[in-house]
Amino acid sequence: MIRPFPSARLRSVNRPALLTLTGAGLFLAALDAYVVVTVLVNASDPRASILTSLNIPVNHFERATPIITGFLLGYLAAMPLAGGLSDRFGRLRIFSLCMTLFALGSLLTATAPSLGQLVTGRLLQGAGGGALVPAVLALAADLYPAGNRSPVLGAVSALQEIGSVLGPLWGGLIAGMLGWTWIFWINLPLAGLILWALWPQMRIAGEPTQPAHLDWLGVGLATAGLAFLTLALYAANPEQSPVGEGFLWQAPLAVVFFALFVWRERRAPHPLINVRRFRDSSFSGSALTNAIAGAGLMVALVYIPVLANAVFSMNATGAALLLLRLMVGIPIGALLGGWLAQQLRSYRVVAAAGLILAAVGFLLLSGWNEGSLGPHLLGSPIRVADAQLFLTGLGLGIEIAPVSAALLDAVGEAERGAGASFLIVMRLIGMLVGFSLVAGFGLWAFHRATAQLIPPVGLNPTAYALYIVQFKQAIFDEYHLIFRATAIALVIGALLAAATLRPLPRPRWR
Amino acid sequence: MHAGAFRLRALTAGLAVIMGCSACGASPPDAGTLLKQSSQRMLNLKGFHFQMMISGFSGSSVPVQNAAGDARPPDLRAKVNLKEGGLLLEVEVVFAAGGVYLKSFTGGWQQLSDQELAQFFDARSLFDSTAGLFAAMRDTATPARGSVERISGHDTYPIAGSVPAARMHRLLDPIRDQGTYQVTYWIESDNADLWRARLSGKLFDASRAATIDFNFSNHDQAVSVSPPPLG
Repeated sequence: MIRPFPSARLRSVNRPALLTLTGAGLFLAALDAYVVVTVLVNASDPRASILTSLNIPVNHFERATPIITGFLLGYLAAMPLAGGLSDRFGRLRIFSLCMTLFALGSLLTATAPSLGQLVTGRLLQGAGGGALVPAVLALAADLYPAGNRSPVLGAVSALQEIGSVLGPLWGGLIAGMLGWTWIFWINLPLAGLILWALWPQMRIAGEPTQPAHLDWLGVGLATAGLAFLTLALYAANPEQSPVGEGFLWQAPLAVVFFALFVWRERRAPHPLINVRRFRDSSFSGSALTNAIAGAGLMVALVYIPVLANAVFSMNATGAALLLLRLMVGIPIGALLGGWLAQQLRSYRVVAAAGLILAAVGFLLLSGWNEGSLGPHLLGSPIRVADAQLFLTGLGLGIEIAPVSAALLDAVGEAERGAGASFLIVMRLIGMLVGFSLVAGFGLWAFHRATAQLIPPVGLNPTAYALYIVQFKQAIFDEYHLIFRATAIALVIGALLAAATLRPLPRPRWR
Repeated sequence: MHAGAFRLRALTAGLAVIMGCSACGASPPDAGTLLKQSSQRMLNLKGFHFQMMISGFSGSSVPVQNAAGDARPPDLRAKVNLKEGGLLLEVEVVFAAGGVYLKSFTGGWQQLSDQELAQFFDARSLFDSTAGLFAAMRDTATPARGSVERISGHDTYPIAGSVPAARMHRLLDPIRDQGTYQVTYWIESDNADLWRARLSGKLFDASRAATIDFNFSNHDQAVSVSPPPLG
């Protein structure tokens, strides 16, 4: 997918300036990937709550699901195309287009009077933000020669990861100070500034374009399959069903689109992904494990802030700081996982250990109740809850390097760029599908548990207090179920990794 | 310019004006007549859809933020958003066959007794044939018609006036009964359909302003509401 083309003119431009500006754009878009999770619900400040602004009651949380899935779907639809588009039309032109799309999505989101416009805005934000990733990676590859580009590519990927990790905190802080719409308003001048600063570079670069192979049909089929799967799993009425009302026709249609996608990719001269690779158990095992880990991360990203807001009555900043304890564990775990895999010369052991650790973390989190944020760890200033969150993040981080490396080893040198994109795609698919499933089943279980729990009408404070206790317990039961289910999924991921990942190849000097 | 040519031009212009005016149709009825027609029309509908939004200060006695539903007074069904401790929570209400039913944040439907209902406010009065909004249209003092405004895709005349607070207190119990309030109705001239009504003033607190907006649609589409299954 990423095909660097040598351009003497492009290399003659101010490389650090180009990379800084495009990297800043990438970082800005990455910040917004999960930015909404800390500003969905807020009891203390209605300005910091998207649900309150859009008149969505908290007892119908299912209506907020498309705010999260919309972004992921836009991202997944645009990302596979952007590499090829930047080959054809030039990196900076596609970068500018993506930034504009992202800014337009931000504008629609900030001004949304209704859920429909907000989801459209998030979809465009996702499409712009998702397409930035391969465009900036390919630009970085163009600017530096083959032997020298890996630190630059690493830095670009790190910007993307750090941005998405900091997003919920960024969102919480901005919403706490100015209101949630400012998270998106801020993007407009910043995107404008980046594009303005980039304009002279674009003129100098005078990018050449070249014919590129774009598998529009393949992208279309895969996107249609994902869109129907998302619709099928979207429980719009969780009181009646844990999945969508059209599940019985949408799910088979999604399968048909996926089958057509595989059929197309087997015949396409330049496929998006070489589907024959799935016969390799190390490839398919690492792809699936990556998706399961993505689902686990998404569950934590969404439900920890919502729990913090709705049950622990924290504000947006407090919820973001609680989530940060988990998020800091991820990069530390990622470094540790890479180092451990190298030392132990085993992907499977390290990946499985990371996923088991994350599963244990989710199990510990699934035991939380109203008093869980109180106790401290052995008299230290660190709370038990903080350690549990960090442990979960650490586990989710540890699996990243061995699982990614196993997949990249399986695809070989020639398809490494496509493999790297496929890793991101699989992670996002895991996030999308995992979150849709968990959201639907969680709410369905909540409604079943409270089907007989009718609140007392009247001014009897004792009866009402008793009801509130039972109501909160039902919310906790829903979370316990979701976190336990996630722990089970992560154990399955660990088993899959242990069974399929090949050992590290011997280092070869070329 | 020749006098003949000028006369011809004046005649043409005059004709154009006359033809233009006849194309405009009859001049709209005066504000008071339109209000009475609309009141009559709305009271006789087989059903309609409504939305109600409260903005500004609503006080702790009125946790209702907004409501939407279908009505054929005195029966109606609606989804109501309540503000509880900074969070919005949705409940459903049904008024049917003389009974009042509530589906709260959790659990199924329950029937409310008169004492239980008295702890909230009785929303049936909103569209009551004597105490409700449509009847109050006739009690609007000094109505004045504005120029045409398009509401929900329909050409309407805004008619502004004032109503005694005591009259509005009958409409909705938590509304204060002191002084007068401003009210505007947006009425379609062709069929006297009421599309929007806005009540503003210090409705719930003597020192703070508030607004209640009503939007109507699906005029005269039959609505039938039956008691929901309990439990």
